[in-house]
Amino acid sequence: MKHARVFHNGVELDITVDDANRLLLADGTELNEAEVSWLSPVKNPGTIFALGLNYADHASELAFAPPTEPLVFLKGANTLTGHKQPSYRPDDIEFQHYECELVAVIGKEGKNISREDAMDYIAGYTVCNDFAIRDYLENYYRPNLRVKSRDSLCPIGPWLIDKDDVGDISDLKLTTHVNGELTQEGTTADMIFDVPFLVEYLSKIMTLQPGDMIATGTPKGLKDMQPGDVVVCEIEKVGALETRIVSEQQFYGDKY
Amino acid sequence: MNSNPIVKGKLVCVALNDAEQLASMQAEFSEAPYQSAPTQPVLYFKPHNTWNVDGAVIDWPVDEAAMVVGASLAVVIGQECCRVSVEEALTYVNGYTLLHDFSLPEQSYYRPDIKGKCLDGSAPLGSAVIAADQVTDLAGLTVITQVNGETVSEMPMTQLERNVPELISTISRIMTLQAGDVIAVGFRGERTSVQKGDRVTSAIAGVAELNNQLAD
Repeated sequence: MKHARVFHNGVELDITVDDANRLLLADGTELNEAEVSWLSPVKNPGTIFALGLNYADHASELAFAPPTEPLVFLKGANTLTGHKQPSYRPDDIEFQHYECELVAVIGKEGKNISREDAMDYIAGYTVCNDFAIRDYLENYYRPNLRVKSRDSLCPIGPWLIDKDDVGDISDLKLTTHVNGELTQEGTTADMIFDVPFLVEYLSKIMTLQPGDMIATGTPKGLKDMQPGDVVVCEIEKVGALETRIVSEQQFYGDKY
Repeated sequence: MNSNPIVKGKLVCVALNDAEQLASMQAEFSEAPYQSAPTQPVLYFKPHNTWNVDGAVIDWPVDEAAMVVGASLAVVIGQECCRVSVEEALTYVNGYTLLHDFSLPEQSYYRPDIKGKCLDGSAPLGSAVIAADQVTDLAGLTVITQVNGETVSEMPMTQLERNVPELISTISRIMTLQAGDVIAVGFRGERTSVQKGDRVTSAIAGVAELNNQLAD
């Protein structure tokens, strides 16, 4: 089952999306997609973990040695936005790129979860685009909140799909298209630290709770983005997430 | 698990905001892995599993030999705060309390420190928010921390590299702050080592008090 959240006629609604891509309320009423705004599919986002350099080819692309231990950072819920929503490019920067990532969403509380039991704690999956502004990176100093926790720069969705509907996640194809052109291509088979490992690793440090999310990193294929670009991050069996890039001024309007 | 009634959304801490510590680290910043000193506030989140309360007993993490604590003035945001100026920043503040950040000792400030900073229950906050208009001289406040009744740290707000309005303004340009978000504005450089069973008490005279104990 695909679970989504949309804004429709001034209210937030929980819906499901069927195999014919119909947007359905619990009573079976169908919504017209043209009349909804997609929201983040995770209603009460908890801790958002994101992995740095978790694909060997991406690490080499950035001239880093692959990590021997997961390089994990946290993101604020202010970063989340839905499918087909705008994300902004800050003014006065040289390089902002997309990062297509598989997101595992935690479904029940757990601490010290073993690798063998890890998948029992996953509710499902979604796709995120973990945009990064490379100009703001200072040698991986923790100002990475300035790089990674900016408003709207983690579109997520379109939906949360149940774990069992995806099945094996060890070799899912990931692609990113910018304005229709293929710019990033990879497979989850190239992840250095896989989802069961990450659940075990993180739950040894801290208690995981429903709504926590693990964004698992991105393969190589980085490309600069500009206002006006449309970016689609797609993961086989999970979904395709579309984002429009706007300028900082367009995004913030009166608050600019 | 404990939570905290004050912090609703985000708990953002500012590291390396002690001007004395920054000055003493300049030589270190020129070397690997840093290469250069940070040009921006060094921020980290304490996620929701860490939020805890006044009086809480703090678990000692299994298999860890050492822990440290820092105390900070905690600024509680009162209304949505997006890209505000330094001059207007304090008008978005609901009030103030104290935060203890219990952590594993840190070796460097180079990489995000999930292991050290995300321990369950490691971020207790004071039980009351002192209304912003009750604090007339924010820059004149000092956070004093005692361990087992002995003063181990004094952090006057005049020693912050970036003051409270500057931080609110800068952070609100990175992330929109919401009512109930909290910013811990800065800790005295060298955190204080603590042992199992220690009582940790921090206070800002007349403003806030926070008491915790490490589990035996």
